[in-house]
Amino acid sequence: MLPYRLPSYVFGPKWFYGFDSIIELVAIIISILLVYYSYKCYKLTSEERFLYFSVSFFSLTLAFIMKVVGTLAIYLPMLRNSVIGNMVRGVSYAITVRGVNALTFLLYIFFMVLGFMMLFLIVSRLTWENKRVIALLMYLVVIATWLGAIHYQLFYLTTLALLCLIVWSYYTNYRDIKSKNALLVLFSFGILLLSHAFFIFVIYSRTIYVIAEITQLIGFLCLLIPFILIFKKKPKKHYKLVK
Amino acid sequence: MSEKRRGKLEIVNDMLRSILNKGGKIKPTHLLYKSNLSHSKMKEYLKELMAKEMVEEIEEKGKKMFLITDKGREFLLEFERIKEFSDSFGL
Repeated sequence: MLPYRLPSYVFGPKWFYGFDSIIELVAIIISILLVYYSYKCYKLTSEERFLYFSVSFFSLTLAFIMKVVGTLAIYLPMLRNSVIGNMVRGVSYAITVRGVNALTFLLYIFFMVLGFMMLFLIVSRLTWENKRVIALLMYLVVIATWLGAIHYQLFYLTTLALLCLIVWSYYTNYRDIKSKNALLVLFSFGILLLSHAFFIFVIYSRTIYVIAEITQLIGFLCLLIPFILIFKKKPKKHYKLVK
Repeated sequence: MSEKRRGKLEIVNDMLRSILNKGGKIKPTHLLYKSNLSHSKMKEYLKELMAKEMVEEIEEKGKKMFLITDKGREFLLEFERIKEFSDSFGL
């Protein structure tokens, strides 16, 4: 348990309430698509890099779900007075809307940092055999979550640093591969990096939060493009032989 | 210019394609020649392919043969997409 009260966070202006949840929902759908396909690749090839990629995006999916759950309770007052809301209150009076928001924000931080950390490990081609390095990085995830819960800016600074490293890895990947899809992936993560840079400053202006969310939406939509392009590619006919 | 080293995915693809090009089954010696691997490496890959149920070992007229399974065919159909996905996302 943390030795202090968890702060709750709602950054957006009132007119934007709910729109950010829709943006988060888009991110959830795109992340689930990546989780599904990379897991399918893992099942087919048994190569662990696909599994870890799948797990990293699953962690990001959980992070966005936490954010949606935490903010919806505040955005929709009718939820509080609904049957579910009354049931939750019936369990314990300690469960307040702000409390739920604070707890989900903590989980959001944890899953987001964990997801980006795993992605960084995969794209940097660090071997998972080096368990001491992995243990150290997982420790850093816990520390980053703790610090992020104390002050949200430290959380976004951590994700910004991780995204910088991820973007750098994708840049070197594009330099080696030189394909349109690799460029699109680099571009998408570059936009996500920009959105996290905006998130650092949301405390100063609610408009920055709107800009950060929209930038994040563009980043995730850009991430969808290479995925669609890969799927549009039809397999070569000569493979399609019958037994 | 030196040729780029094949990754695991490409080797598996080459092996399965070699089997398919021979009508779905192949003799071990032909597979060794077609897949351009050392004997020990080929055995290692075959063991993995059989564990993944992509290839089956059968006997035909007293001779050992390797047969591509439906899962192996599915891999070949999906290979290009997997390769593109893997390259694009830096995996």
